[in-house]
Amino acid sequence: MKGPLDIYNEDIVRCNKCGFCQATCPVYQVRRDEALAPRGLLRLIRALGDGELSPSEGYAQRIYRCSLCGVCAPTCPSGVEVDGILQAARDDLAARGQLPPALQELGRTVQASHHLLEDAAEAPLAWAEGLPRPSGGVGARVDLVYFVGCVASAFPEAQSIPRAFVQVLERAGRRYSLLAGEEWCCGYPLIVNGQRGEARELMAHNLEAVRSFGAERVAFTCPSCYHVWAHIYPQELGDLGLEVLHATQLLTELVASEELAMRPLPRRVTFHDPCDLGRRSGIYDAPRQVLAAIPELTLVEMAESRANGFCCGGGGNLEVLDPELSQAVAERRLTQAQATGAHLLVTACGRCKRSLDAAAHRKGVPMEVLDIVELVEKVLDNGA
Amino acid sequence: MIPSTLLSHLESIIGLTGLLTAPEDLMVYSYDATLTEHQPDVVLLPRTTQQISDILRLAGESGTPVVPRGAGTGLSGGSVPVAGGIALSLTRMRDILEIDVQNLTARVQPGVVNADFQAALAPLGLFYPPDPASMKACTLGGNVAMGAGGPRCLKYGGTKDYVLGLEVVLADGEVVHTGGRTVKNTTGYDLTHLFVGSEGTLGVITEITLRLLPQPEAKRTMLAIFDELDDASRTVSAIVAEGILPTTLEMMDNLLIQCAEDFTGAGLPRDAAAILLIEVDGFEEALDRQVATVQQVCGAQGVREVRIATTVKEVDDLWLARRTIIGAVARRRPSMVLQDVTVPPSYLPEMVARVVDIGREYKLPIGVLAHAGDGNLHPLILFDQRDGEEMAREREAEAAIFAASLELKGTLTGEHGIGLTKRKYLPQALSPREMELTRGLKALLDPHGILNPGKIVGGDGEGPA
Repeated sequence: MKGPLDIYNEDIVRCNKCGFCQATCPVYQVRRDEALAPRGLLRLIRALGDGELSPSEGYAQRIYRCSLCGVCAPTCPSGVEVDGILQAARDDLAARGQLPPALQELGRTVQASHHLLEDAAEAPLAWAEGLPRPSGGVGARVDLVYFVGCVASAFPEAQSIPRAFVQVLERAGRRYSLLAGEEWCCGYPLIVNGQRGEARELMAHNLEAVRSFGAERVAFTCPSCYHVWAHIYPQELGDLGLEVLHATQLLTELVASEELAMRPLPRRVTFHDPCDLGRRSGIYDAPRQVLAAIPELTLVEMAESRANGFCCGGGGNLEVLDPELSQAVAERRLTQAQATGAHLLVTACGRCKRSLDAAAHRKGVPMEVLDIVELVEKVLDNGA
Repeated sequence: MIPSTLLSHLESIIGLTGLLTAPEDLMVYSYDATLTEHQPDVVLLPRTTQQISDILRLAGESGTPVVPRGAGTGLSGGSVPVAGGIALSLTRMRDILEIDVQNLTARVQPGVVNADFQAALAPLGLFYPPDPASMKACTLGGNVAMGAGGPRCLKYGGTKDYVLGLEVVLADGEVVHTGGRTVKNTTGYDLTHLFVGSEGTLGVITEITLRLLPQPEAKRTMLAIFDELDDASRTVSAIVAEGILPTTLEMMDNLLIQCAEDFTGAGLPRDAAAILLIEVDGFEEALDRQVATVQQVCGAQGVREVRIATTVKEVDDLWLARRTIIGAVARRRPSMVLQDVTVPPSYLPEMVARVVDIGREYKLPIGVLAHAGDGNLHPLILFDQRDGEEMAREREAEAAIFAASLELKGTLTGEHGIGLTKRKYLPQALSPREMELTRGLKALLDPHGILNPGKIVGGDGEGPA
């Protein structure tokens, strides 16, 4: 039987261990330990294939200490598809039943509750408390469905993102609807665990739910939900027959058609590219266009941005496996943001916001961290 | 194998998170960027000079090999722990301790990455010339230990020209400070430069005082395209003979142009036999004249075209293509060996021609990459290490390249070091008396042979140091 890694056999041999990936890997940058750098992981994966190593707990602990940010792949001069291999190594471990216990538990929760957090599944609209009902109604037939995502619906520090987004939609006069209890986890936590097969039920359910609304478009504030819907759903479920778009894309549409009036914000701002929005989805310009549409705002790029963007440490379920490592990565990114002289760090992802905001709090750094939809909501010109 | 009592002593020095013994960890500290691998018995990631001193004292008492390493991007096997023992990774000693703008010096820890150091200097209008292709990943400690170079060495010299002083932990654990903070220093024997390029065989470098330069005001980057490889190499000699000293004068042949273009899409001419990447720097007013002279020399040697980069992006793309080429060739064949022979620049055309002949004779694709201006060639031999017969031919081709370089008044290595891969050729380059002196120095500083055994001299095949 073919394993998930087999298609990469030639690719793995092609790594000539130049070590250039260590220059960009966020985990290596904070730990400086070669066992956690892409070159090292590729060597271990090769050893597993050659029978030099067994798929031990030690092997798994190293493979999963990676945020799957994917910056290693474009860095590799040999063209090794490092990000694909690192995901396949997870698929392989999951198939062997070798998930680290914390991730095994996460996988069980998502499969059982259809949500990243078990409790949150009970109250899918807790984030919307006090807001007017959606213009398009909940569960009503409408053109646009907003898929909120687990992070934004469940974590208090991220709930302001969907709150802001729906207010922006209302202001722009866009009718939209929410899936509420019919919105299940998009499948991302299972997929990055290596449990893509187990995610299929979630994917099929979500697609069916959106279709039942008669919607033509589905929008996301979470770039991981967006990436999974845009790239993995069609692989698993065929043509979705839907337009899948990230909030930043919808915002550029609203900005271009002048449906949003924004007041001046004379501030220096820097932007953090979420890995799933940037490298995985190629969306770099949309958020920058939105920022450019805010009068008097000055965008200052960080040293590592766009395709070279440094991870927030929150991806790949790393936060679940090794919170300390995840936080160390976030703190390094925060330092890069500080170097721009900006005191406002904007991103377009609830998870990135949580990681970076928490880092700023821990370090006592005067850096305000906002999702781009929150920023837009705050500068909406209410005509007063 | 390391006895468990020694391990527990080491752990008490370095703590739980700085000591690794899992099979996975030993595997990833068993190599550098060459094909050689050998696992250490334990990996240590110290943070202080004191820890290293304590480690060496223990290692000395127990006769345990200690192999220092930086980022493991070396190209001669210098950091491969061939005798097992301790792999001592210095990557966690990563602080820039001081940048002295008034005196144009800096003090750094060995784990500082070259490019991070450059980035810290740039806003101050300063730079540190050595720029190995791996500069984004490699450490300054590794650069000093291996005597690293880079394209800019043509005009500015290599690592050894910028090391003013060192803190070194000796084999018995004692910490010494060599040299100082001044460019001029003739106080006694030059111990500092004894350690530069010593590949971790004489001591462990724990702090480095470096000389800095003010950034040149401006630079111009040119791409000269040739239809004949020989014309390109003659142009290099001609430019040097003309008395111009470009910052860099890099050569790539067609095979490497193709590989670089596959990775970067920088717009290199895929149909050219060779290109020269030429950069000049200095005062803005002086550059046009230098560019004109370079164009004239190229013209006289039958250049097809000289392009001058006009945007920062064009310059960056050209350099990305050059810096990543060593990795990019892996797109063609699974395995690669890179030589580092260096000849006086006037011998460059002859050396290039011989490399081409050697490739033909041994039926192996050899890419010609060169820091051509200083005669430093990096012939890249491509093969498949899984094919034993091809591997044997590669070894013979390698030997032929070394022999050719020595015959043309050149050296075995310009900037990668002897390490493991060139060790057996050392007696061809050094006289018996020089070998004896080298062994004597090694014995003086490392009487028990614990420091990176098996590199340069001593260890297996060399007899006791």
